[in-house]
Amino acid sequence: MLPDQAYEALIDAVGQENVSREPVVLDGYAWQPTFNYNPELWMERPSAVVLPGSTEEVRQTILVCNEYGLKFKALSTGWCVTAAPWCEGVVILDLRRMNRILEIDEKNMYVVVEPCAIGAQIQAEVMRYGLNIHMIGAGCISSPLASATSFMGHGWDGIYMSYSPRNVLGVEWVLPSGKVLKLGTPGSGLGWFSGDGPGPSLRGIMRGAIGACGGVGVFTKCALKLFNWPGPPVVEAEGLGLDTKTELPQHFKVYLCFLPDWDSFADSMYEIGEAEIGYIINKNALGLLLSVIFPRLTRKIAKRKAIKETVDVLKNEFEIILAGNSEREISYQVEVLEDIISRNGGFLFDLGDNPLVGIFWWGLVRNYAPPILFRPGGQFMTLFGSDDSFDSQVTAARLGERIKKEWLEKDLIYDDLGDTSWMHIFENGMWGHCEVPFIFDPRNRRQVEAVMPEAIESVMASLEKNLGVGMLAMEPLIRKIASPMQGNYNKWQKEFQRIIDPRGAADSALYTGEAEIDLSTIDPNKLQKMTEIIMKNLWTESGPPR
Amino acid sequence: MTLADYERDMAGCSRCTCCKWSALSQIKSWRYAKNCPSVTKYNFHAYSGGGRLTAGLSIIKGRSELTEGVADIVYKCQLCGACDTACKIYRDDIDINEVLLEFRADCVERGQLVLEHMLMIDALKKEDNVLGEPKAARDKWAEGLGLKDVNKQRADVLLHAGCRYCYDKDLWPSIRAAVRLILSAGINLGFAGKNESCCGGRAYELGYRGEAEKYADDMLSRVKASGAITLLTCCADGYSHFRYLYPRMGRKLSVDVVHITEYLIRLIQAGRIRFQRKVPLKVTYHDPCHLGRMSEPFIPEWEGDKLLRPSSLKRAGRGGVYEQPRAALRSIPGLELVEMERIREWSWCCGAGGGVYEAYPDFCFWTAMERIDEARSAGAEALVTACPWCVRAFRDALEQAGEAFPIYDMMELVAKSIGIPEEEV
Ligand SMILES: Cc1cc2nc3c(=O)[nH]c(=O)nc-3n(C[C@H](O)[C@H](O)[C@H](O)COP(=O)(O)OP(=O)(O)OC[C@H]3O[C@@H](n4cnc5c(N)ncnc54)[C@H](O)[C@@H]3O)c2cc1C
Ligand code: SF4
Ligand code: SF4
Repeated sequence: MLPDQAYEALIDAVGQENVSREPVVLDGYAWQPTFNYNPELWMERPSAVVLPGSTEEVRQTILVCNEYGLKFKALSTGWCVTAAPWCEGVVILDLRRMNRILEIDEKNMYVVVEPCAIGAQIQAEVMRYGLNIHMIGAGCISSPLASATSFMGHGWDGIYMSYSPRNVLGVEWVLPSGKVLKLGTPGSGLGWFSGDGPGPSLRGIMRGAIGACGGVGVFTKCALKLFNWPGPPVVEAEGLGLDTKTELPQHFKVYLCFLPDWDSFADSMYEIGEAEIGYIINKNALGLLLSVIFPRLTRKIAKRKAIKETVDVLKNEFEIILAGNSEREISYQVEVLEDIISRNGGFLFDLGDNPLVGIFWWGLVRNYAPPILFRPGGQFMTLFGSDDSFDSQVTAARLGERIKKEWLEKDLIYDDLGDTSWMHIFENGMWGHCEVPFIFDPRNRRQVEAVMPEAIESVMASLEKNLGVGMLAMEPLIRKIASPMQGNYNKWQKEFQRIIDPRGAADSALYTGEAEIDLSTIDPNKLQKMTEIIMKNLWTESGPPR
Repeated sequence: MTLADYERDMAGCSRCTCCKWSALSQIKSWRYAKNCPSVTKYNFHAYSGGGRLTAGLSIIKGRSELTEGVADIVYKCQLCGACDTACKIYRDDIDINEVLLEFRADCVERGQLVLEHMLMIDALKKEDNVLGEPKAARDKWAEGLGLKDVNKQRADVLLHAGCRYCYDKDLWPSIRAAVRLILSAGINLGFAGKNESCCGGRAYELGYRGEAEKYADDMLSRVKASGAITLLTCCADGYSHFRYLYPRMGRKLSVDVVHITEYLIRLIQAGRIRFQRKVPLKVTYHDPCHLGRMSEPFIPEWEGDKLLRPSSLKRAGRGGVYEQPRAALRSIPGLELVEMERIREWSWCCGAGGGVYEAYPDFCFWTAMERIDEARSAGAEALVTACPWCVRAFRDALEQAGEAFPIYDMMELVAKSIGIPEEEV
């Protein structure tokens, strides 16, 4: 329970109506079922929630936390377990009131935003200027500032718009001491256009690959790169979800491409990247696509061998959106794509006037569909996600296929025909991303309890193939196992933490925390294998394992 | 059903927050991107649709007590249904609307009451209306119209005027225009005069189930006794209650239930009325929640796992009345209809619903002014709607803000175009 004096001080900081310690209100921040390994699905109840409306109010809140020895954590939209308190007594800063778009610099192609301007809002505004913003795979419902500064940042437009940590320019950061640090050009009072100076250049320390998940302070503003948008300033669409209908604008094409196998699939990806064509490219798990569109039918037909075999044949599929500024440019891109796909033995299907073009084009550009993933089962977990060459992503997809099959046989997940991965390429195909989704029902205790063992299994399989730990790197249980096998990275991370947050004011469980795994949840045979993998990969004082 | 019966719905929330936003595929600006008045005003997650699910779960799981603070969360909500529609774009297994209603019934049952609502229910018990006006004056609005009294004569169409139209003099011109118009089309129309009572829907929304059922039974017997084959209402609230709440209470009207905007289109299509005069005005149409998404007919609770419920058996807001009011407006010569960004099932509420107008007027007026701002930004010279509660909320909000913007009940514009003289209505 938050002491009265601290409560009063928080009220002084942000105003009475913006502080709560009502248990039901607090539970709104403790309930975090998405990507939660804890079968209870409730995380720690915070000791208070505050709604700061400005950088100064964030600063004042942090000063109060420092004065009363409270931990704090910020969230933007708060869509997944990383936004929850991971220890007792945390003061949550819900940044909902800081939701403005502060500046759109058309000429220099960037936008300055606060934490709770969501992707859909920013996109709608910048499209009027012929510009677009990178949208993460979680969809336009999430905060671009959050993914740029604090967590992940991948999406299917990566081929054209890269990925959030690369797109972040100037940043305003309230450190756990309450001091305001401005990264890049804003640090020298020169505007927002660069994240690397003149001014402090600390982007890597700010977040690294996965992000510090609220463990290093609060990001209150940032500038994000914008990209060319050759489409209409306002897109008129009919329908709200999978029923969306819209006309494909001039100089856009949408294709479904099918390749015969993983190798030709990977080669096509590399070639598309090298050819510098494409606006959006996404490998969807075909079975998953069927599951979200026809969740009940898929349940009925999933066990049929013929259906599984068909999906297996068609699984090396991706969607690609081409966008050109002129007829000449789009024709060129079409020719190049046709050439790549045919040389790799595949075929492509032009969605053209097909009614599905609405959901495939606007669905992927606006990216409003991701919450549909919860439709078949109520919840899902996604594994792997180590960013590396596309070939290594194919390895991950194959491993995922194997693990998924096993869990399906145990009836621990929804049967989405066992199809595995979402994949995209970034930056001319220089690297790729692969995630393997597992759908389950959060109200089914057996299935929820299987999540952690699934995750551990995927991490072990990844490490065995030198794929890294991927998205799970922020998880304290996983960090405890993975860090000693990966150069003891957490040791270094803790060094940064000592400088950024000497008092340990931020809830940093997802930044540097380590926790013990309950070994009893792991199958004894797998445990043995896991021990072998760990022993083989352990770093010693003198360096990496030989 | 009780709150606890919806545990699976509540435990299914993934906290995606779609219930705080307008349909994501339809967002066209930063300014008009939100859909939930409650969380937009009060900001804590608990004030959203999903947040209320979590609050309910917290209570049934014994993590929290049902305090005054919880009642504040439960009642600072218009029951506008925007969250439910937004969630159901993606989900088949969560019925937010049902949880919100059960939460209110739970509050009433366990004594977490709101003073203003208690006064409404007292007024209802005494005078058969939620405004506390005398029962004996319920038919005053219809003076001189020559409407048949169904207590004495048979009518094919029974008009249920509803509490707001009966007592709000400012709105009498529109309901009187509706009656004039229907009579002029030669329809055998009647009303129950002083014997008309509240439909009971508001009591149900406030959580007072017993009162609501009593008034629903009363309505059912009145309709039956009248021998009418159609129940016509100009009140969007009443319309929604007849189609959604009555069957939810296990009460079914055995007549055709029609809203005036639907009836208007029927008359136009049958060639029984024609708009003749020009109404040179650029208007925008506000979809009343109770005529739009909340009027979608009731669908019985799915037994068992809702993941197995076909989409056709979930109420997702699509079955509301959206086209008819627009079609009627489009057929008025000289009138130009421009659309706001949040329309149809992703429309923003006027602020009045769910007992908010009575208990939290400032919240109601803030919500209404948000909408008026949107109407202005759409380039409209006036806002038209088809619900007396919406008209009241908009006009009061403007008055409180000291601002002017024309607000029309649709029937007022229809009367202008048909050429019914103002003094006659
Ligand atoms: C269904 C689903 C699919 C997803 N798919 C993808 C994907 O394809 N690609 C991808 O990149 N990510 C994905 N994610 C993860 C997503 O990137 C994060 O949830 C993301 O940060 C979204 O923004 P948010 O507004 O929800 O952030 P929040 O949930 O609010 O925050 C995410 C983390 O960042 C911290 N944080 C947020 N804002 C601040 C701030 N201003 N200052 C300090 N710390 C802050 C929070 O403490 C939390 O740890 C997915 C998530 C979900 C739930
Ligand atoms: S209620 Fe529905 S839309 Fe709202 S957060 Fe929960 S799952 Fe998402
Ligand atoms: S019913 Fe309306 S006001 Fe209430 S939570 Fe849902 S969207 Fe918000």
